[in-house]
Amino acid sequence: MTQLCRLSARDISVSFGKTPVLKELHTDIPDGKLTVIVGPNACGKSTLLRSLARLQPVNKGQVVLDGKAIHKQNSRSVARRLAILPQMPTAPEGLLVRDLVIRGRTPHQSALKQWSHEDATAVETALEQTGMAHNAGRPLEALSGGQRQRAWIAMALAQDTDILLLDEPTTYLDLPHQIELLTLVQKLNRETGRTVAMVLHDINLAARFADHIIALKDGRVHRAGSPAEVITEANMDSVFALPCTVIADPVHGSPHVIPA
Amino acid sequence: MILRLPFLSMHLPARAITVSLCLVSLLVVALLSALHLGAYPLNISQIGQAVLGHAEGIQRMIVLDHRLPRILTAIGAGAAFGLAGSMFQTMLRNPLASPDVIGFSAGASCGALLAMILTGGFVLFGALIGGVVTALVVIGLAWKDGLHPYRLILVGIGASLTLSAGADLLMTKLDALTAAEMAKWLVGSLNARNWADVQLIWVGLAVLLPLSLWLQFPLTRLAMADDIANGLGVALSSMRLAITATAVALVALAVSVAGPLPFVAFVSGPISRRLVRQGKPALLQAAIVGALVTLLADMAARSVPLVHLPTGVFTAIIGAPVLMWLLLVQFKKGTL
Ligand SMILES: Nc1ncnc2c1ncn2[C@@H]1O[C@H](COP(=O)(O)OP(=O)(O)O)[C@@H](O)[C@H]1O
Ligand SMILES: [Mg+2]
Repeated sequence: MTQLCRLSARDISVSFGKTPVLKELHTDIPDGKLTVIVGPNACGKSTLLRSLARLQPVNKGQVVLDGKAIHKQNSRSVARRLAILPQMPTAPEGLLVRDLVIRGRTPHQSALKQWSHEDATAVETALEQTGMAHNAGRPLEALSGGQRQRAWIAMALAQDTDILLLDEPTTYLDLPHQIELLTLVQKLNRETGRTVAMVLHDINLAARFADHIIALKDGRVHRAGSPAEVITEANMDSVFALPCTVIADPVHGSPHVIPA
Repeated sequence: MILRLPFLSMHLPARAITVSLCLVSLLVVALLSALHLGAYPLNISQIGQAVLGHAEGIQRMIVLDHRLPRILTAIGAGAAFGLAGSMFQTMLRNPLASPDVIGFSAGASCGALLAMILTGGFVLFGALIGGVVTALVVIGLAWKDGLHPYRLILVGIGASLTLSAGADLLMTKLDALTAAEMAKWLVGSLNARNWADVQLIWVGLAVLLPLSLWLQFPLTRLAMADDIANGLGVALSSMRLAITATAVALVALAVSVAGPLPFVAFVSGPISRRLVRQGKPALLQAAIVGALVTLLADMAARSVPLVHLPTGVFTAIIGAPVLMWLLLVQFKKGTL
């Protein structure tokens, strides 16, 4: 059965200088699903996500969004369909949470039309969904790591796109906050039907929250499929060089990796 | 507060409005005191009559031919410097990256000087070329996988010093009298401005101020990281180009009527940002702060009796401590 995929990478190659990072990588991001990209450090996860979001020019192949090469499409029109939250984003000092979230409306605005009724609704909805409404008036640097990450996600949500890409949204969060954030992302995926693709470094969390997992190794897709298909002892060994036992998580039933 | 007209809708934060009103009031007060300031005593009603064109003789001459053009040039040039500085600082995400610190003003004044020597005119044109070339060279040399703050500052300061030395060399081509006048202009001087200068700077501002305010929308997004601005659909390269072109034009314009007044572009952005708060560029407020700083510095220059100190001496006195303070802050935060 072929799945519907508005976003896909078709044999893309990316290199920095002479170093190839992605090598004719081919993958699809299934619509409406929660996809997680995993792989060892520096294997090209962020580069793949940035390429999928047209932030990274590709040397060969193309990223296709809605049937057309994404790099050839108008950036603003792409931004109305696809939002990306880069790894460790930065904002100017003193920026308030609400103003950050308002920035998410950029592709729907113009210099003269900076505030429509839809903008107001989308911003309030994003603040509500992420539980940041009561923090809206605070500057970003006054927030804890978890709250700050939620503020950034609220910005991406306010962009009101069908596709949402997140690069390691759980970096620097402790376990309870990681779970909280991933539960939020999963809820957004389930309730609004948004396609979500994110990079995570924790395989067990990936296995628990993902519908679809893409395991990268050396700039190529090593294996892609459901958590049960991808998170196996053989794959963990070949992708991460990690000898381990994989059991079924007794609570959630998803595959659970226990390093040897 | 939300402004909603058929063709224009935007947020107008109460604080930004209050700050703007206060700054404008201060500017008006400063303007009136500047009209009053001078060796020839004139009271308010005499000044008022002169401004309205009801005065004759010396009274009219002092107000309309001397004080008013000088004041209006100061306000216009200060506003242009303030806008340009704030635009560069925001776009390059670094308060040190203002045109007077990283050599763009020096480039514009070198260009102006060269045009003066070669053709006896075309000062604005020379300043434009000088400013654009310097901006391209400095940003080009400092660019390596993006713009690193310290590289930009070092290259910029290097360019600034080289260009100032270049200007000194060019001066030897002039006769002593012109050279003396030019030397003052190179420090930044508003001495003996006339209505042609006023016209030049204000016509320029009439075009470039609305353009700058329009560019404030992409500029605000560019102040975030490249990936974020890009992801939000901002056309990075073309917007950067438009902002650079506008800001360099503002610098060239200001330099051609007032010389490279040091530090006005540099202090206006940080001051207006701190007044308005909320981490947004406040271009309009930066323009008013620039105008105010320049006018106050010029009043200081005019109130020193007998010697004609150039205005730039006083903008430097205001700006240099701010530069040191910002360097210290950035150094402590490790962002330099
Ligand atoms: N802008 C860049 N310039 C040069 N090399 C880069 C750049 N971005 C990433 N790389 C290199 O590409 C490789 C993959 O990086 P990345 O995609 O960030 O890996 P991951 O996210 O999987 O940790 C790394 O070796 C990294 O050093
Ligand atoms: Mg990464």
